[in-house]
Amino acid sequence: MNQPLIQFDNVNKRFGDHNVLKGVCLRVFKGEITTIIGKSGVGKSVLLKHIIGLMEPDSGQILFNGEPMAAMKRGERRRLERKFSYMFQGSALFDSMTVYENVALPLKEKSRLKEAEIEKRVLDKLEALDLLNIDEKYPSQLSGGMKKRVALARALITEPEIVLFDEPTTGLDPIRKNAVHGMISEYQKKFGFTGVVVSHEIPDIFYISQRVAMLEEGSIFAEGTPAEIQDSSDPVVQNFIHGLMAPDRETTGMESRKACEVHFLQERSRLNRHGTPFSVIVFTFDNIDELYEKTGHVGGQNVMNHFIDMLRARLRITDTCCRYGLNRVVAIMDGVDNESAGRLCHRLAQEMTGVHLAIAEPGSDKCFRISAGIADVKAEGNLEDAVTAAIYRAAGLYEFQVCE
Amino acid sequence: MQKALLSFNPVAALGRLTISLVQEIGRIGLFFVRGLFHIVSVPLQFGKIIHQIYFIGAKSVLVICLTGAFTGMVLGLQGYYTLSKFGSEGFLGAAVALSLIRELGPVLTAIMIIARAGSAMTAEIGIMRISEQIDALKTMGINPVRFLVSPRLAAGLISFPLLTALFDVIGIFGGYVTGSILLGINSGIYFSRVESSVRMTDVNGGFTKAIVFSVVVITICCFQGYYTHTRKEGFGAKGVSLSTTSAVVISCVLVLIVDYIVTSFLL
Amino acid sequence: MNRTSIETAVGIFMLIGIACVGYLTIKLGRMQLIGGDHYTVSAHFQSVSGLRIGASVEMAGVPVGRVEDITLDLQREDAKVLLNIENHIKLTDDVMASVKTSGLIGDKFILLTLGGSDDLLSDGDEITETESAVDIQGLIGKYAFGGVE
Repeated sequence: MNQPLIQFDNVNKRFGDHNVLKGVCLRVFKGEITTIIGKSGVGKSVLLKHIIGLMEPDSGQILFNGEPMAAMKRGERRRLERKFSYMFQGSALFDSMTVYENVALPLKEKSRLKEAEIEKRVLDKLEALDLLNIDEKYPSQLSGGMKKRVALARALITEPEIVLFDEPTTGLDPIRKNAVHGMISEYQKKFGFTGVVVSHEIPDIFYISQRVAMLEEGSIFAEGTPAEIQDSSDPVVQNFIHGLMAPDRETTGMESRKACEVHFLQERSRLNRHGTPFSVIVFTFDNIDELYEKTGHVGGQNVMNHFIDMLRARLRITDTCCRYGLNRVVAIMDGVDNESAGRLCHRLAQEMTGVHLAIAEPGSDKCFRISAGIADVKAEGNLEDAVTAAIYRAAGLYEFQVCE
Repeated sequence: MQKALLSFNPVAALGRLTISLVQEIGRIGLFFVRGLFHIVSVPLQFGKIIHQIYFIGAKSVLVICLTGAFTGMVLGLQGYYTLSKFGSEGFLGAAVALSLIRELGPVLTAIMIIARAGSAMTAEIGIMRISEQIDALKTMGINPVRFLVSPRLAAGLISFPLLTALFDVIGIFGGYVTGSILLGINSGIYFSRVESSVRMTDVNGGFTKAIVFSVVVITICCFQGYYTHTRKEGFGAKGVSLSTTSAVVISCVLVLIVDYIVTSFLL
Repeated sequence: MNRTSIETAVGIFMLIGIACVGYLTIKLGRMQLIGGDHYTVSAHFQSVSGLRIGASVEMAGVPVGRVEDITLDLQREDAKVLLNIENHIKLTDDVMASVKTSGLIGDKFILLTLGGSDDLLSDGDEITETESAVDIQGLIGKYAFGGVE
């Protein structure tokens, strides 16, 4: 592996008698999103504050590009800190300033841009976050979710190289939650920043992160790719992840990915034993980025949710459908062979093509393309293999457009 | 540690107290120096300074006029009855003007500003501290002392002498109202006594005090707010309220102590 | 409160404040905005008891200047007083300076009485003829204890 951008080397921190960090070793790689999960109060925010220098470790060191941060000269340190941006858990908006002033402040104070250029950038960012009509309001007049988005706008306005998110979606409704995740992921792709996210949003956060680290008892308990963490056989990790995944169905009207996997395994064994056919259909939103650009992240999520509602209306009660990544929906239908699944897709495509989802102003030609693929389920392999196969086969199979 | 708890050593306790006191004074001193330095560090923060002059200075004009007028009036009243015992009512103008310019003007102005602006300053900065807004400034690479303290310090250095001058002038006219209009001293004598008794050193002394007080008051009030989170006896909103109280008490007491010290140097 | 109204309020505040400072320093403190309309002469007195800096200097009851400084001249064992006199008042070299009291226990001031010489004093010169303060307490004491013949 190449050299990590940020590395925690045996970092300890205690507050009074409470030993919060006990020898944390963590690596964050350039251009990746690293998510830190863990129970509340386990020291995730403390960990994040060490990266940006709001807290200093009692012992151990934090290396930036292999260089210890504590040994840096002041000028060097300041230049480094300018590359960082931090989104606070409690938003930490300046409550005596309007939303516009809040977002514009980092540019006004730290850049040499002209007033007009600042205004343009701020308004662009506010528009992207669906905040345009509240720029004259004060933070105390906003809802918690709006504050979060303003804080996100403020963190991203300087186009930083490293962004630290401290629970960016806590307290948001499911649609906005996914919107924020989509935004983080999109901006990360666009600007290539390195992200460190503290989050409880499992499993959604797995879709946007490349690495996951679990903090437990003051040290990194498990570290790896999202898939590795999810497949971890460690009971502590499993308990933690599934404890957070359970309420998913209530909020989004969909099963968790775990439920899908369980259903898949059940069906596979039934296929093996009795030869009962079942099919896996994968719907991929091909132009989700384009859609986000046109309708904003909330709008994009809304369109997706409408589609999912329509899909669910055509599924039977025994079928399972779940989100699989940011722009994929997987449906598992038992007792249906691939041929009838194909017919279903065909019918769905016919019904939905040109359907107007009445969410945005009528007459706009904002469409999104969905391609559906049907997995050729084999006797072995898990859901992931099936999905990959389905995506591979999806191209040009069933494509339909749903318009607003 | 265990031993120290069991056997109370008064000498060590005194030493501990002294060390913590000296440390605290050092921290306040450094805090002030940082604030002062960033007043002149480029780019200058004109907009914020004007905003603070508005808050500390312009909005205090009414309260300073009121207190100044009544202080002058009561001085006129008391002075008249005391001086008339010696048959020298004519000196009323001198008595009112000198006590206002040398002593009462700077001190009462400082105390009124502590009550009006100082407490608000502590509460505002304290709330910014507990709601992580100061940390947010740091993460943006903005120096919080420069952003929060320096404009207030600059505005204080400008506003205190001006408000003191206003207090003095209003007070002298207040003394004129009681002495001359109500109690019948010749107005020409009143003002000629005012003019002949006041010397430039008195006026300068008054302004010196005003400037020293502004430094003391603004530094203490900002410091208490800025370090709200380090309080051990209360956190959050409770901490802010404690900080505000101690900012007001400490700066009022310090104004009177510093007044004595400056006076003894000036005389 | 928008930006312009804040700026206006601050402007008004500054104007009021500066006007008050001006009143205190120029009118009461008599700060000299333009130097050179005064000149200084010195005078030696046996005693200036009760005289203080800033006391007025009068001629025939009209103020013409003020006492700028009072020091002790150790060599001559007397008090050296610097008088600040307005430029348009011309003093002759035989002018007499005396320390007087206004009323029985009033302020001390310097009274100048012109002589008949033609030579004028200029900046830094010394008034040679002086009359010290009358020691009222001494006089009363003498009267009370019978020292007066």
